Amino acid sequence: MAWNRNRRRSTSGSWAVLAQNPALVIFFLIALVLLVIGRGQEALFDDARGAANDVSAVFMEVLSVPASEVNRWIAGLGSLFSTYDENQKLRQENAKLRAAQSELSELQRKVQRYEGLLKIPTDAPVTAVAARVIADTAGPFVRTVLINAGRAQDVLKGQAVVDDRGLLGRVIATGNRSSRVLLVTDLNSRIPVLIEGVNLKAILVGDNTERPVLEYLPSGSRIVAGARVVTTSDGAAFPPGIAIGIVAKGETSPRVKLFTNEGRADFVRILKYRAPIDVDEAPSGTEPPDKGDGKAKPASAQPAGALPTTNAVHAQPGRPRPL
Amino acid sequence: MFEVLQIGFFWLLQQLWRALPLFVTLAMMLVSMAPMNLMQGVVLGPDLALIAIFFWAIHGPEFLPPWAVFVVGLAQDFATGSPVGFCAVMYLFAYGFTLSQRVFFRGRTGVGVWLGFAIIAVLMAVGSWVLGTFVYARWLPPGELFGQAAVSVIFYPLLARVLLLLRRALTTAPETLRG
Repeated sequence: MAWNRNRRRSTSGSWAVLAQNPALVIFFLIALVLLVIGRGQEALFDDARGAANDVSAVFMEVLSVPASEVNRWIAGLGSLFSTYDENQKLRQENAKLRAAQSELSELQRKVQRYEGLLKIPTDAPVTAVAARVIADTAGPFVRTVLINAGRAQDVLKGQAVVDDRGLLGRVIATGNRSSRVLLVTDLNSRIPVLIEGVNLKAILVGDNTERPVLEYLPSGSRIVAGARVVTTSDGAAFPPGIAIGIVAKGETSPRVKLFTNEGRADFVRILKYRAPIDVDEAPSGTEPPDKGDGKAKPASAQPAGALPTTNAVHAQPGRPRPL
Repeated sequence: MFEVLQIGFFWLLQQLWRALPLFVTLAMMLVSMAPMNLMQGVVLGPDLALIAIFFWAIHGPEFLPPWAVFVVGLAQDFATGSPVGFCAVMYLFAYGFTLSQRVFFRGRTGVGVWLGFAIIAVLMAVGSWVLGTFVYARWLPPGELFGQAAVSVIFYPLLARVLLLLRRALTTAPETLRG
C-alpha cells in the first residue's frame, strides 16, 4: 500500500510533471527571461507590439461590431424603464444649456475683443483624427484600449485621445492602422494638469482605480472638491484646457472624478498637437564654441550692447515626450 | 503525383484540425478583448484564455502542449499591452499546476472539475498579484484580480460545455479523415 502511494506520488506530483514535460520548464524559463528583458528594455518590443496591434486589429474590427450592438441593446434595455424621468431631466438641462449658450457667446465676443486689444498670440489650431475603439484590453494591471487609426492616419506616440466628455488617455504604441491608448487610470499614466480656480499645477497619477490621484501639489495648497481639472501644455505633451474631471476627496490625497467613462468610450478623437517652442537667439559673445570643425563662428552683426532680437523659431519638438 | 498531393493535403488538414484547440483558445482571448462592457465596469470580464488552458490541461494536454500555452500567453501580452512574458509565465504556471493535479480531476463530475477550476483561478489571482507587485515594484490593488477570478469561475461551466463538444469531435476526427 505504502509502495503504491509512493508510486502514485512520483507519477502525478509537481516534480514528476516537470520531469515528464521538459518543454514546460523550457518555455516557462523563456517567458521569465522575456519578462526580465522586457522590463529592462521596454522599447525593444515596440515594433513587435505595433505589428501585433495591427494583426489583432483585423479581428477586433470584426468583433467590435456585434460587441457595440450588444452594448447598445444593454444601454437601451436600461433606459427603457427610465425614459420618462430621463426626458424630464433632459428638458431641464436643455433650458439651462440654452441660457448658458447665450452667456457663452457673449463671453466669447468679449474674450476675442480683449485678445485683439492686447495682441495675444492665438493658440495653434489643434487638428484631430476620429477613430473607433475596437478592443478594450482592460486587465488587472493594464488599462488600455485599441483604436483603429495608426501611422497611416499620422497618429504618433504621445498624442492625446479624447472622447465627447474629456481626456481618455494618450497613444503609447502605433501600428500602421491601429494604435494602443494608455488610459488615464492606468498605473503608468502620468499627466500634467491644472486645477482651475486656484491655478495649481499637479500630476495626475493613475493607480488602476476609477479615480486617479493628484500628486506633486505644492505643500499647504488648498483645493476645493468639485474644482475642474484640465490639461496643461507643460511638457509639450497635451494641448492645454482639455477637461479631465473634478476634484474629489480621497482618503490620503485628493483624487479626480473623471468625466469620461472608459468602459463606454466608443468613438474617440486623437489630437494632433505640437507645442510651438520659441527659441531666442543667444546674445553675441555668449554662444558656445563650435565643436564641429574647430573654426570660430563669424561674430554677430548686431552692435554690442544692443538687445537681442527675438527670432521666434518654431522648433518642432518631434514626438511629444512621453511622461 | 496526385496521390502524394492527396496525402499531403490530408496531412495538412489533420494538423490544422489538431491545432484547432490553439486557434479556439486564441479566438477566446480575442473575444475577451471585445469592447462589450457586459459587467458595466463593475468587475473585469472573465479570463477566457485561462478557462481554455485549464480545460485542455485536464481533457487533452496533447492538443494544447506547453509551446501552444506559451504562444497564447505571449499573444495576450502583445495584444493587451501587458509586460512581455507576464501572461505567458502565469498561463504556463496554471497549466503546469493543473497537469500536476490532473489525476485528481480526471473522472470527476462537472462540479468537481468546476471546484478545481475555482482553486486554479484563485491561485492565478494570487500568483498574478505577487508577480505584478514585483514587476511594477509597487503596491497593486488585489481586489480586481479576485473579482476577475470569480467572474471566470461563473463562466466556466458554460464554456466548458462548448469546449467539450470540440474535444469529442477531435477524438473521432482522425478516423473520419482517414476514412
